[in-house]
Amino acid sequence: MVLGTVYTGFGFWNVYAWVMFFALGALIVLFLRSTGRGDYEKGTYQDEVFYGGNPVPQDGEDLAVPASSSYWGFTKALSRFYDVLVSMHTGILSDYMGILVVTVAVISILILL
Amino acid sequence: MSWQVHLPALVVSVPLLGAFISIAMVKPRLRNLWFATILVATTILAFLMWRYVAINGTLVYVMGGERWNLTLPSGMTLPIRIIMEVDAFGAFMALAGSIATLASGLFSVRFLDRVNDGNKFVALFFLLFAGMLGLEVTGDFFNFFVFLEIASVASFGLIAFWRDRPEAIEASFKYAVLSTFVALIFLIGVGILYGVYGTLNMAAIAKNMQVGFLEKLALVLFIVSLAMKSGAVPLHMWEPDAYGQAPAGVSCFLVVVGQASLYGMFRIAFSVYGQAFEGNVLAWVIIVLGLLSMFIGVIMAVIQKEAKRLMAYHCISQTGYMLMGIGLGLLALSSSQAMSEYGFTAMKGGIFHIINNAMYKGLLFLTAGSLFYATGTTNLNKLGGLARKMPYTTFMFAVAAAAIAGLPPFNGFVSKLLIYESSFVVHPFLAVVAMVTSILTLASFVKVFQSGFLGPSRDDLNNVREVPLSMVVGMMVLCVMIISLSMMPNWVLANLIEPAARDLVNQASYIQAVMGSGL
Repeated sequence: MVLGTVYTGFGFWNVYAWVMFFALGALIVLFLRSTGRGDYEKGTYQDEVFYGGNPVPQDGEDLAVPASSSYWGFTKALSRFYDVLVSMHTGILSDYMGILVVTVAVISILILL
Repeated sequence: MSWQVHLPALVVSVPLLGAFISIAMVKPRLRNLWFATILVATTILAFLMWRYVAINGTLVYVMGGERWNLTLPSGMTLPIRIIMEVDAFGAFMALAGSIATLASGLFSVRFLDRVNDGNKFVALFFLLFAGMLGLEVTGDFFNFFVFLEIASVASFGLIAFWRDRPEAIEASFKYAVLSTFVALIFLIGVGILYGVYGTLNMAAIAKNMQVGFLEKLALVLFIVSLAMKSGAVPLHMWEPDAYGQAPAGVSCFLVVVGQASLYGMFRIAFSVYGQAFEGNVLAWVIIVLGLLSMFIGVIMAVIQKEAKRLMAYHCISQTGYMLMGIGLGLLALSSSQAMSEYGFTAMKGGIFHIINNAMYKGLLFLTAGSLFYATGTTNLNKLGGLARKMPYTTFMFAVAAAAIAGLPPFNGFVSKLLIYESSFVVHPFLAVVAMVTSILTLASFVKVFQSGFLGPSRDDLNNVREVPLSMVVGMMVLCVMIISLSMMPNWVLANLIEPAARDLVNQASYIQAVMGSGL
């Protein structure tokens, strides 16, 4: 048995190969970083954020993309599906009890018949 | 006789003792010390129990009997006393659950300084701990019900612990009603089997099992009640409310308590019914519950903007992997060829996923608790730029998020790989759903990372600091476990997972440990 190797019955996978792969990637990143300009000075105009040529807002809140806007396209494309799914999660206990009873009925039909 | 034969009783009685004594603690510092001591002691006992079972095989313990291993006194054909039966699967579950509980307890120590009812919190926490471990060591249906109720009642109190928040009371109330309903239908199932077989011992029932209408009816009641308790779709709707409103340490703990219910489902399906249940319907019911849980859980998680609710939906999704993995094992149970072709690999994946989920999902809830402790909110729209202010929490969140998303080289990848490959053999659609779920899991945790930790600092979070050391230590326990499981996958598979999977499949050995003569 090779150290860190998992045999799945269909193939194998070695964790240390991946660790070495990431270590190599990190070394390449560090090398590229080291080739950057040496005259960079922290706290000067070189630090300033480029905001499409507009004044940069003082509060980070005005710059950040809020979580509710993430994956807007994905949720918009699946809006019909989401409408159905979200409407099932009413938060009303009697609805949940109803789903429970229906589930009991369905599984009973499948297993008893 | 080694004192270690008493371990099944000790793992339940030590936290139970801890619960009752903690009520009487007057000084908070003494109570915190007691809390940490009992947590560590119980985790050590769970480890020793796992080690004992790994060396000596299935451990049977008779409560109040003439001898600890006298399951059938002379003249008796059925066991009548309370019997605990711990095989490698039960010991594995108790160990995984105890480690996650230890972490959530250590994390909660500092949280206790912020509440007036710390003693009650500790008492409920230990009751839940005793209930969870009891579920995993009992070999008796009625005691399974009793431990289920102990765990449930303690959960109600812990979920509603922020009792000045109406949402917490509402979440606890919903869970209480649903949980009580399913506990009653579980009890009806137990009553049916008792009426037919005249015993409550699982091994004795398994030995005499002949599946007819009543046995099938009892099975339906068991599956539905335990599926609800473990949060499988479509019975999952209480979970985002409950996990979202409970204190973070409790949410982490509830993950492993939910897994104890899954344990019960698998124990009943494999060890009590096993091959006596003919046909593949039961296996497919479990697989379909798994598919629904995986997909619906993750698709709902993507649109959440509250970190703990998002994580609760992921918990549902991860439960789906376990259901599918073990369900595939059940599908292959009657055919040795299918078992060697894909069934055992799927079971290894499902069981590996249990411990993985306990560790990374627990850690994710703890990081959400850190965010709440430091900022007063887990609403992702109100967070941002915390990586610079909370570096330890950020690092541990990144590790847990990578692990749950199944990114190599983390442990989540190994268990998912086993499930992907084995499910592909049965039908490619199963593997596709599992992979799509994994991709969406990654997407939603990228969202949390971007919203909570990256980006520019917000003015209203200028004074945020890293959480206290005890909370970091609680998170560190799980982080170290994740990295260890990731770096030693073959050791974990050989020593933890495969023995558990073998014992779960081996119904004859489960019966023989109590009844002596096997099938």
